[in-house]
Amino acid sequence: MDQLLQALVSGLLLGGFYAVMVLGFSVIWGVMGVINLAHGEFLMIGAYLAWGLSRLFGLDPFASLALIVPLMFLVGYLLQIVLINRIVERPHLMTLLVTFGVSIALANLFKILFDADPRNVAVAYNGSLQLAGVTFPIVKTIIFGAALLIMVCLHLFLQRSRLGKSIRAAAQNKTAARIVGVDINRVYAITAGICIALTAAAGAMLSPTQAIFPFMGPPFTLKAVTITALGGLGRIPGALMGGMVLGITEIFVSTYVAGIGTNLGVATSFVLLVLILIVRPQGIMGGLRPLEPEAE
Amino acid sequence: MRHFLLQISLLLVVSLVLTSCSLAPPAPVDEPAPASADTDAEKIIYLGAAVSETGRFSREGKDTRQGYGLWLDWVNNEYGGIKVGDERYKVELIMYDDEGDPDTAARLVEKLINEDRVDFLLGPYSSFLTQSASAIAEKYGKIMIEGNGAAQPLFERGFQNLFAVLTPALNYTRSALQLLAEKGAETVVIAYEDTAFPTSVADGAQSWAAEYGLEVLGVETYPVNVADVSGIMSKFKELEPDIFVGGGHFNDAVLFIRAAKELDFNPKAMVITVGPSNPKLIEEVGADSEYVIGPTQWEASMSYADDYFGTAAEYAARYEKLWGEPPTYQAAESTATALALHIAIEQAASLDTDAVRTALRNLDVVTFYGPINFDEKGRNAGKPMGAIQIQNGEILVVAPTNAAVADLNYPAPPWKDR
Repeated sequence: MDQLLQALVSGLLLGGFYAVMVLGFSVIWGVMGVINLAHGEFLMIGAYLAWGLSRLFGLDPFASLALIVPLMFLVGYLLQIVLINRIVERPHLMTLLVTFGVSIALANLFKILFDADPRNVAVAYNGSLQLAGVTFPIVKTIIFGAALLIMVCLHLFLQRSRLGKSIRAAAQNKTAARIVGVDINRVYAITAGICIALTAAAGAMLSPTQAIFPFMGPPFTLKAVTITALGGLGRIPGALMGGMVLGITEIFVSTYVAGIGTNLGVATSFVLLVLILIVRPQGIMGGLRPLEPEAE
Repeated sequence: MRHFLLQISLLLVVSLVLTSCSLAPPAPVDEPAPASADTDAEKIIYLGAAVSETGRFSREGKDTRQGYGLWLDWVNNEYGGIKVGDERYKVELIMYDDEGDPDTAARLVEKLINEDRVDFLLGPYSSFLTQSASAIAEKYGKIMIEGNGAAQPLFERGFQNLFAVLTPALNYTRSALQLLAEKGAETVVIAYEDTAFPTSVADGAQSWAAEYGLEVLGVETYPVNVADVSGIMSKFKELEPDIFVGGGHFNDAVLFIRAAKELDFNPKAMVITVGPSNPKLIEEVGADSEYVIGPTQWEASMSYADDYFGTAAEYAARYEKLWGEPPTYQAAESTATALALHIAIEQAASLDTDAVRTALRNLDVVTFYGPINFDEKGRNAGKPMGAIQIQNGEILVVAPTNAAVADLNYPAPPWKDR
């Protein structure tokens, strides 16, 4: 029973991280129809920034979010204007090629800058709390809390604010949004800024829990595809649900399969993706269908 | 849409494969060049090695390079060159960066043999890379002598040209487990990376556990470049073992210690390969590394000596003077590797591969690193393995008893009482 409860808690904590990790990927796809294959690399950049700030200034990885988020918002905003706006309304293959290129370029740039050595961020509070016989790792619990907070904020922003409404309008019907006077390019750039900043924030939060190296990105991109297929495009509750399903599945496999559980856990998300594609190619929550019918 | 998603999945898989293989070409690496007055008559022995400068073994690879470098500096500048019969040969060592990738290592060894025309090969760091590098050396009938590949399968291939100066992986945990059994430990769990060296360490740990009456409660494997070992650690926590044995490399040691603390997993002793004997581990994880036990091939406080580098302590002082940091055992065994080849060449009085191979087979010497005496499979069977424990931020030898400088602290207190 204890083990079951512990596995459930570990799975939920991991799932919370996955949910915040996938947001940027899912919103960019949902709003612009761009599948960002460099998603994992922006996560990697966030982790390296947290590592650098902690090495140079002794800054806590969570405190460093205050610097990383605005910086990466700017990076995302500029990237959108310079590169991605040129391919948004082109065929899907173009967006795949361009973001795939960005992914390779970034990973190798970081390899040149920092070597392929794995880096670690140490925090003093990496212990655990006991609650009702279940162990809560402090760092992962903080990540979970921050993930929920970020998701609530993003949800409120998209639902309530004027800018959020224009983003949703652009996602639902580009032409109509243009007619009522929404500056689509600006909306796209802001969306990209928010998404890249969120992704980098997820990477920074991840930094105290695992080794950081230039080629850490692609597995996260793959997991993001799986979670998006589970939870749907640009839907925050969907991302949360998809993240939880993947997190809990991974932890249960590694807890209850003897001997090779950890190996299998890594394979889980790929198996899930294949299963979803076979059973429901349109995604579980009706999600992978483009929001705008004439986009295809 | 279905096709489209399949395309994406395919593209992603291709991107994974592409990025995990390194895309940049390996660059030759500068090493302390033999300071030689370039006369036409000068005779040179060329040695070659592919050793990680970047990649997952960059840390241990640096120790390996520096270990080779120390011998190179000494043999050219102080010893006056290797004696072959009546003549003195300077040594030139060509090293490339294998980036921790076995295919790159194999390709570089092929280049060393075919393009650089080296006379002998020194090994890379890790069993993982030695496995592929030594296969190329064997294919071309070149001697590869190494000090950083201890996995059992390396020596089960019937190779005639591979010699290893280090204690085989099966024996890594022997002295630590023996000592812990004497202190009253009764149960053990084992986690290991599913590659050659950690698998041999774990196989050995299981057989030594049986030998010393320890009950094995659980065995778990994990993949290369694992990001998180908390699944394994939470499973082990349920089993409440006395001893945790972790087989892997440097970064895995960081992950194990971190996950144990995070999950409040409290074994009475943690025995982890490769990481603990390196002072960098204390830097990375700080006070959490206290009480951690690690096997060691060599420590400066051991009582071995030879005519070339003097005692183990004198070797350590020389190393620190040259490189500005104390030697790890990976550095010492790399120096010993080159020294063993050096002695064999002098005993053979020839550069002929067959003559040197015979000399290596018959070699029976004691060096600052310990006895070197190769068995028929090329392993150094005579050398015992030591164990260290991190106590108050220092790495102290606790076994074997004749080399120990401190008593083992057992049991380790739970995380909440530290």
